[in-house]
Amino acid sequence: MNVIECNGLTKMQGNHTALDQLSFSIKEHTITGLIGRNGAGKTTLLKILAGHWKETSGEVTVFSKRPFHNLFVSVNSIYIDDQLAFSTTMTLSEILNEASRFYPNWDKQLSERLFNYFSFHENQKHDQLSKGRKSTFHMIIGIASRCALTLLDEPTTGMDAAVRKDFYRALLRDYLDHPRTMILSSHHLEEMEDLLENVLLIQNGRKYLHLPMDELKEYGIGVTGRTEMVRQWIHNKKVIYVKEVGKNATYAVLKREGLPLEKAKQLGMELTPVSASDICIYLTNQTKGGIDDVFK
Amino acid sequence: MISSDGSTPIYVQIAEWIETEILIGNLKHDEKVYSQYKLAEMFTINPATAAKGLNLLSDENILYTKRGLGKFVTAEAKQIIIDKRKNHKLKGLLEEAAMEAKILHVQDEELLLMLKTIMKDSKGDTR
Repeated sequence: MNVIECNGLTKMQGNHTALDQLSFSIKEHTITGLIGRNGAGKTTLLKILAGHWKETSGEVTVFSKRPFHNLFVSVNSIYIDDQLAFSTTMTLSEILNEASRFYPNWDKQLSERLFNYFSFHENQKHDQLSKGRKSTFHMIIGIASRCALTLLDEPTTGMDAAVRKDFYRALLRDYLDHPRTMILSSHHLEEMEDLLENVLLIQNGRKYLHLPMDELKEYGIGVTGRTEMVRQWIHNKKVIYVKEVGKNATYAVLKREGLPLEKAKQLGMELTPVSASDICIYLTNQTKGGIDDVFK
Repeated sequence: MISSDGSTPIYVQIAEWIETEILIGNLKHDEKVYSQYKLAEMFTINPATAAKGLNLLSDENILYTKRGLGKFVTAEAKQIIIDKRKNHKLKGLLEEAAMEAKILHVQDEELLLMLKTIMKDSKGDTR
């Protein structure tokens, strides 16, 4: 069963096309990583799915309903980012209490345990928390609400490495016990990739790739060798990235599918895997080459 | 135990980990292997990835499925794993060694001697 279906979803913000004819669907009980560069449209997409923002055109359904201002979608989904606003007069424990009244699947015991584990104090105020502590507190709400659709927008912003690790582990453990549909957006694909079943890569508001995580990891292959040979070999092939390394050597990233890799090896070129995180960066590069070209 | 350096897909690493459990006798013939959820929890990975690793082993007749009960180790599992690792992993490693020797202009005799010495030393270690 599909929890989310988008067909030609478009969002205009003034003259800017934030989402451009986006079509995809997301199956129930899967964890999807939403990946894209700054300004690719990740937040816009998540806010539309959560029903906070209205689409300009195209179709979008969540639990077979149009999400905008829909109470059913609102109760069964949660959108978490680092800018959640809470009343400045409420304490942290009062905020959790209010959240538990709204979300029917709220797990009070889990929220209290996480609250204590991360050493929050009942009488602390939300606006006094640091950036990382805010993210950690929001994460407690995101997990304990157990919403059928859990949307986490850059959930680890500001968290230190230890808290991030704990967060991903907590998220996975609760997901195993209580399966739900999750979308996580992040700049740190490498640290969450083990958790993901699928990846949705968007660029300029358009879908670039939507595929299982394992396939993304094997999507590209790095080839290093003498510049002449590499240049000749990559001719007429699907090249994703090229960079000169050292003297008379070139590193190229190609789409792995259907490549005669054995032959490349025999020619003396070195083959290396390309991490999921790197392939996403190369694929969404606006220019050929990279930052080094600025300094040429 | 599971590395994310990208050189080996996680589901292959899961399959290899279970293979090693069978090889060293931690999982025996007709014994139930870990479920995809247990593996996901053990290694902090997505359960779909763990399932892919288990399915890989089923396809190779290393595991069999009892409907509703889970996956179990086949009678032939150990032999299949040994054959497979000999023909793929070991052979692959030797091919790499041969390639490196070629680049370094190491003669056959020298390479064989190196291998023999290494094998002798590693036997000493286990004693």
